[in-house]
Amino acid sequence: MRRVTGSLLAAAAVGAALTAAITMGSAHAGARSAKADKLVVWVGWSKRELSVFKSVVSEYDAKHPEVQIKVVGSINDTKITNAIRSGNAPDVVSSFTSANVGVYCGTGAWVDLSPYLKKDHVDLSQFPKTSLYYTQYKGKRCALPLLADSYGLYYNKALFRKAGITKPPKTFTELAADAKKLTQRAKSGKLKVMGFDPFWGFYSGNFADMTNYAPLFAATYLDGKGKAILASRFAWSKLLRWQKKLIDYYGYDKVVRFQAGLGDEFSPSNAFEVGKIAMLMDGEWRVAFIAAEHPKLSYGTAPMPVDDAHPNLYGAGSVNGTIIGIPKGGKHADEAWALVKYLTTNDHALAKFSNGIRNVPSTRTSAKSPELKPDPRFQTFIRIFNNPNSATAPITAAGNANLTLVGRFTVKWQAGKVKNLHDGLKKLDRQIDAQNAQASAGGGPP
Amino acid sequence: MSTASVPVGAAALVRRRPPPAVRRQRFLVAVANHSLLIAAAIMFLAPFAFIVLTALMTNDQALSSHLWPHPFRWRNFSDVFHQAPLLRWTLNTMIYSVVATIGVVVSSVPVAYALARLRWRGRNLAFMVVLIALMLPPQVTVVPLYVMWSKLHPFGFHFIGTLWPLIIPNWLGDAFSIFLLRQFFLTIPEEYLDAARVDGCGELRILTTVVLRMAKPAIAAVALFSFLYTFNDFFLPLLYVGENPSHWVLSIGLSEFRSLRQVQWNLTMAATLLVMAPAIVLFFLAQRAFIEGVTLTGVKG
Amino acid sequence: MLLLMSPWLAGFSIFFGYPLVMTGYLSFTHYDLLSPAKWIGWANYSYLLHGDPQVWPAVVNSLEWIGIVVPLQVLFAFGVALMLARARLGLGFFRTVFYLPALAPPVAATLGFVYLLNPATGPINTVLDHLGIQGPLWFQSPGWAKPSLALLSLWGVGNTMIIFLAAILDVPRHLYESAELDGAGPLRRLRWVTLPTVSPVVLFAAVFGVIQGLQYFTQAYVAANIAAGQASQAGDTINNLGYPQDATLFYPVLLYQHGFVNFNMGYASALAMLLLAVAFAVVLVILLNSRRWVHYAGAVR
Repeated sequence: MRRVTGSLLAAAAVGAALTAAITMGSAHAGARSAKADKLVVWVGWSKRELSVFKSVVSEYDAKHPEVQIKVVGSINDTKITNAIRSGNAPDVVSSFTSANVGVYCGTGAWVDLSPYLKKDHVDLSQFPKTSLYYTQYKGKRCALPLLADSYGLYYNKALFRKAGITKPPKTFTELAADAKKLTQRAKSGKLKVMGFDPFWGFYSGNFADMTNYAPLFAATYLDGKGKAILASRFAWSKLLRWQKKLIDYYGYDKVVRFQAGLGDEFSPSNAFEVGKIAMLMDGEWRVAFIAAEHPKLSYGTAPMPVDDAHPNLYGAGSVNGTIIGIPKGGKHADEAWALVKYLTTNDHALAKFSNGIRNVPSTRTSAKSPELKPDPRFQTFIRIFNNPNSATAPITAAGNANLTLVGRFTVKWQAGKVKNLHDGLKKLDRQIDAQNAQASAGGGPP
Repeated sequence: MSTASVPVGAAALVRRRPPPAVRRQRFLVAVANHSLLIAAAIMFLAPFAFIVLTALMTNDQALSSHLWPHPFRWRNFSDVFHQAPLLRWTLNTMIYSVVATIGVVVSSVPVAYALARLRWRGRNLAFMVVLIALMLPPQVTVVPLYVMWSKLHPFGFHFIGTLWPLIIPNWLGDAFSIFLLRQFFLTIPEEYLDAARVDGCGELRILTTVVLRMAKPAIAAVALFSFLYTFNDFFLPLLYVGENPSHWVLSIGLSEFRSLRQVQWNLTMAATLLVMAPAIVLFFLAQRAFIEGVTLTGVKG
Repeated sequence: MLLLMSPWLAGFSIFFGYPLVMTGYLSFTHYDLLSPAKWIGWANYSYLLHGDPQVWPAVVNSLEWIGIVVPLQVLFAFGVALMLARARLGLGFFRTVFYLPALAPPVAATLGFVYLLNPATGPINTVLDHLGIQGPLWFQSPGWAKPSLALLSLWGVGNTMIIFLAAILDVPRHLYESAELDGAGPLRRLRWVTLPTVSPVVLFAAVFGVIQGLQYFTQAYVAANIAAGQASQAGDTINNLGYPQDATLFYPVLLYQHGFVNFNMGYASALAMLLLAVAFAVVLVILLNSRRWVHYAGAVR
């Protein structure tokens, strides 16, 4: 016992020293004696993509001695929201979750950019229409697009050859048929290769989200007044029925077991990259991941197949993008704006960044930049992005929380726990409306 | 104090020799009991064993159905340090745990003494309130607390994103420690205190001399629990430093370890093992203090 | 006296009394920390009771945990302690083995279990496979996620076990002997000698298991995030709370989601008030019977 007490005393001494250490460490917020203003930029990218972003920023940094930029990667929306609400915001923030822009603009967590845009005469028409939509909420523009994303179909050519398939599917009926042909099972019935995995919550950020399928069925979440209309759109139930049928073909348990054994989405063990999944719906960035991780993989890209009843939709896809803005409470708003403007409108910066991480350039001029390195597999995604029928998730006051409700429903559905699809969707509509009303009650957005 | 020690050999004491039939029966029961114990011990140790084995595998192997590492990849343990600022997290954790623990002891001892040995109006009520504070879930007050810390920010105090909101409350008394110490102080014979009072000592003096000396085991237990509690704490660090990776503690860092940099399972298990290690090492260094401390919480003091 | 009590008085009022009152106030407001709180009357409560589809699953999950897993923990700890108390060989060894998992930090232990119980590549299912058994989907299935968490909590039952062991070993030897002389077999000795003597300790452990059950968060949060698997690019954990299919959405997790992910502080406060009501009822029951248990309090952590 005496030994414990003794070491406690020693610990007390160490503790006192450490207290002094953190006090000094946390003084950084106040200390601004250095000549250059330190700009802190938060982004979601990590690893390889983060270093590309850093190299883009460092060009700006080198040309602007008045600022010194620090980039922090792997930031998610929870961290962003946390920091802004507690007054610890960085100077520039960006998010992958464009659906949250309603929250950011509506609550004023990200500052309104209109004064800056007006002052610098920035022409908004240089941005694509979809990108303009997901960077504002009810006319309040608190973000700009920083490269954009579109979703298409990746297919493994070697597995296609083996299964005797010559071209990628164009309708959902063909998709299901090809998926079955491509699927390989062990003797025990265990899945070895899946043709196509339609499981809600598999990859794509692991969130049970139907949004990426919506444009393929011309399905929409909300009507003109912002009321949820999942039940009254035949398209949603068609998509859900198609999905459930394919899941049941594989066997729900077998799919779950199979997925549990797969590598992480953003790692070299990605199931498509290692040939465990023959067709994958994914964003354009996968082109760059494959080039870096499995350059020998023989694959092709195409638009996603579409609903058999709407063949004219072929070529469209789900679209969204990284959004960037200035958080409330940042200390160097003007310098931050200069950087945001550069990153989102400078042709060279966008082209260099696009080449590095293979995201869609998000202004008209940068999309035609001679600097862009052509790659036919990447071109597919630019075409999807520019297709007039491509669409993005609705921007609402509750933001991503809406999609959480939808996700809760769809995972129950695929597990076979929803008896009556139509009634279930009607209930879901009511829940979404209630949630939006709750989120916009009182002080929040109208 | 004597009631707190575990009479290890007591169960084995047999005074009279029972008849052979009974002895045989007892022997069989003992064999059965030990077999069960061994089986249970294997089950308790298996998770540790599997974690160790996985921590030594290559990633491809960790994703396969092989149980034995082939080859052994000791590099995983050093790789962990390249993948994540493990040392930084450890340092933060130590700051939190050590500073908070000292605060708990320093601030809780006097309160416990006042509750246990001084007579004053409202003492029982105050003790009741301590009990309530001890038993209500922290989630009940967490929202306004967070608001409070964040609202100090316009005055130039940046608390959110630092360890201070975790540490400061511990310097103002911790209900659990107050309770435990009070229970122990109650057992100190009144004569010792009276003797000191006769010698003309004030209460503060009595506390710092007589009581502290006699309450060492209880104080050690309180310090130990407080250290482990803060070391393991996840909920509060998640709220207050979750947004600021440079102040992450081990529990937060480990939970984000995989998503942070798409780290593989073999490395994750290596990191898990490294995080488990300090508490286990501490246990083997101070095993007696541990067991007595835990026992102290459960047996009448 | 006042001097001795002052740290706690300050701490209590700032970190407990004030926030408790504020929780009540905030629950009637819409507050996002950015614009001033706005009074909205009972709207939060009516959304809680009628609008929010996640409240009911969360309440059911927490009640199931308290009703099933907490008693299981107590029974299991008691069983292990009984076996230990009868051990003639290696008591110290077995005690250490059974206690060790309790030292594993919750985040680390949870990470370990999610890996061990991976339905496809985890060692447990691999071993079951060799035995010709198709293992369950564990953390990946809504039916097995809570049992998986229960296994994790049984594994870490060491503290309770040590307390029970001490209590059992404290039972006066002569009681057993006179019972034996009266011809009582082992089972009847357990029923009529051991149980009555240790029952306050057991009861106490159960009660505090309930209190802990009300706060159950860390393991559920970590397990859901890790099992949802497949680390996402920016480690976005928002939509994984409760994975799979709300099976791990315990009440504190729901509160966290509304308060600290969606920053709906007013609504989170309303959720906290409901928790407060339930927890306070439990606390009252305890306090009204405190004379019987108060000596045994302390296993809170």
